[in-house]
Amino acid sequence: MLRVCPDVGGLARCQTGSVQLSAAILIVDDHDGFRTFARGMLEAAGFTVAEAATGAEATEAARALRPGLVLLDIALPDFDGFEVARRLAAAASAGTPAPVVVLTSTREARDYGGRIAASPAAGFLPKDQLSGAALRRFLAEDRS
Amino acid sequence: MSRRLRAALIAVAATAVGCFVWSGRPWSAPYLPFFVSTAVIGLAFLAAGIAAWQRWPASRLGLLFSVVGYAYLVPYTIINLPGSFAFTIANLTENVSGAALAHLALAWPSGRLRSRFERRVVIAEYAWNLGITGVSMLAWNPSFSGCNASCPANLLLIRSSRSVWDGINAASIPGSLALTGIVLALIVRHWRSARGWSRRVMTPLLWISVAVIAESSAKDILSNLNLGISNSFFFNGIAPLVVLAGPALVIADTVRVRSARGALGTAVVDLEPGASPGRLRDALARALGDSTLQLAFRLPDGSGYLDTSGQAVEVARPGPGRAVTPVADAGVAVLVHDAGLEHEPQLVRMTAAAAGLALEHSRLQAEVQAQLEQVRASRARIVEAGDAERRRLERDLHDGAQQRLVTLSLALGMARDRASGADPELEALIESAGKEAREALTELRELARGIHPAVLTETGLTGAIQALVERSPVATTITAVPDERFPAAIEATAYFVVCEALANVAKHARAGGAQLSIRRLPGRLVVEVSDDGTGGARPDGGSGLRGLADRVASVGGVLRVDSPPGGGTRLEADLPCP
Repeated sequence: MLRVCPDVGGLARCQTGSVQLSAAILIVDDHDGFRTFARGMLEAAGFTVAEAATGAEATEAARALRPGLVLLDIALPDFDGFEVARRLAAAASAGTPAPVVVLTSTREARDYGGRIAASPAAGFLPKDQLSGAALRRFLAEDRS
Repeated sequence: MSRRLRAALIAVAATAVGCFVWSGRPWSAPYLPFFVSTAVIGLAFLAAGIAAWQRWPASRLGLLFSVVGYAYLVPYTIINLPGSFAFTIANLTENVSGAALAHLALAWPSGRLRSRFERRVVIAEYAWNLGITGVSMLAWNPSFSGCNASCPANLLLIRSSRSVWDGINAASIPGSLALTGIVLALIVRHWRSARGWSRRVMTPLLWISVAVIAESSAKDILSNLNLGISNSFFFNGIAPLVVLAGPALVIADTVRVRSARGALGTAVVDLEPGASPGRLRDALARALGDSTLQLAFRLPDGSGYLDTSGQAVEVARPGPGRAVTPVADAGVAVLVHDAGLEHEPQLVRMTAAAAGLALEHSRLQAEVQAQLEQVRASRARIVEAGDAERRRLERDLHDGAQQRLVTLSLALGMARDRASGADPELEALIESAGKEAREALTELRELARGIHPAVLTETGLTGAIQALVERSPVATTITAVPDERFPAAIEATAYFVVCEALANVAKHARAGGAQLSIRRLPGRLVVEVSDDGTGGARPDGGSGLRGLADRVASVGGVLRVDSPPGGGTRLEADLPCP
């Protein structure tokens, strides 16, 4: 399920237009309800949003759409968020610019011990604390 | 043997000995040594005959012993009867006892001669003894043997000739020696072919035969050399007593069987619990004195039997000299033993009973062991199923209620943003609803963590223990935690040990600090938590440590609590870990 700039015809083409690369976000979560609300919230905050429900979809979408930020749920039906983050980082080292990866979960960061710190992700954001402002901070940190 | 028969045999034997003693009056000095030794030998063989008859009623041994006894006594009894006929018969049968001895030795221990050849040898012995004596008596004048005119006449005498008589006697020696040699060779062959129990029974007989044959041959040769030595006290009174070893055989045999019976009981009692069938066989073989004993078990498919060394055993045809006795009535196990033991049926029955008892004992023990294993396995399964259920509950909470609360929280956040500025009252209301939702989410997270720590599933012991220590109110130092994954049950158990230990430190110990280590040893994982608190924790007191000990035992581990009052508490869980 890839919903991309429905009015323009594709996020990639969006990027060539006025929409900034940094404003494109890929939400990776198998929970429909969360994706819907997150999309609504982030679009309201001015982001362009694409969605993926599985790890496989996520890597595919990231390759095709080159989002600036990937909001990545750790618990996914096929492989987990850590593995997706690792694949994205591996793809990025091959030449394409790396997206900022933000891991997310309904659990707290400490429930994952050192795994978050050990992953190539930029950071972790508990799902209930998701907001456009929080994601902008990650993007800003990445740029600086 | 019935009591009446035994009484009759005793009466006849006593009469024979009595007649012999009475007939020898006036017991003149030159004959006294010979007279006493003959009486003792005759009495001993008659007594042995009755004893053997009673011990082995089906065997001819009793009869053979008795024949030897009477062969010693009768000629020297009737020789003193008046009249020439008795005198002649007495002289004719004087040496039959030697043939009877050879017969007895060849028939030992079954009472039966083993082949037609042996029967012929025995017949030849009797015939030679009677025949050569009879022939020599054709020329024998009693005066040649120092008998004065008071002796009755020799009815067989044809022509009195000292030289002919001496010649016949001398000529008979090679024949006698040859026959004796054959008998000895046969006895040696019996001994050589005997194994196990039969060998032990044959060995004393072999030595006795050698001694008796040496004694009688020496006497024969010396008496023919007319050296006068043969009339000495030694040769008449002492040397003949060597045959007393024959009756002693019966006593020795009885003692051996008795001691074997005693040893059997001890052997089974002394057998260590769970001893292998091989060890049982060894113990039985030792106690029984049959080194050839085999303990064979029926194969599960009923196709045959295998002994304890894995050799196939033909139970239907156990081979020459072998016999089979079932151990248990089911025929699951059999004893294959020396056929000589068939003369001791009671001993064999006892051996079988002892073997049956020992096998039953190990079977019961194996059963109890198996039941214990089953209980252990089922306990481990129950605990594992409980763990899995808790993991599932935690996951369900995470995927369900927590997810919905997150979404609700996000929705309320969005609603608040939309209401922002337009309706302050609505905004405040939504804000407080959002706060409630976040608190519910926090509580739900704690609940889920209590049910099963996700961090344990996610990161193993390293992260999970770190998280526990971070939340513990007492300063805790981690000295070692292996950075590897272990079986889920072991990880969960180690985690709960640390969790409970740290909770106890915080609640009861009044400790300033605690130390924690998890060490990987070969085949084990050792969890240790110690504190510097008040100590005095009791492993059986309160449900916490008791439950923890159960939990540790469920994976086959051991929980040790060392908590002297005032000396801190040290808790160690030793978990098996492949």
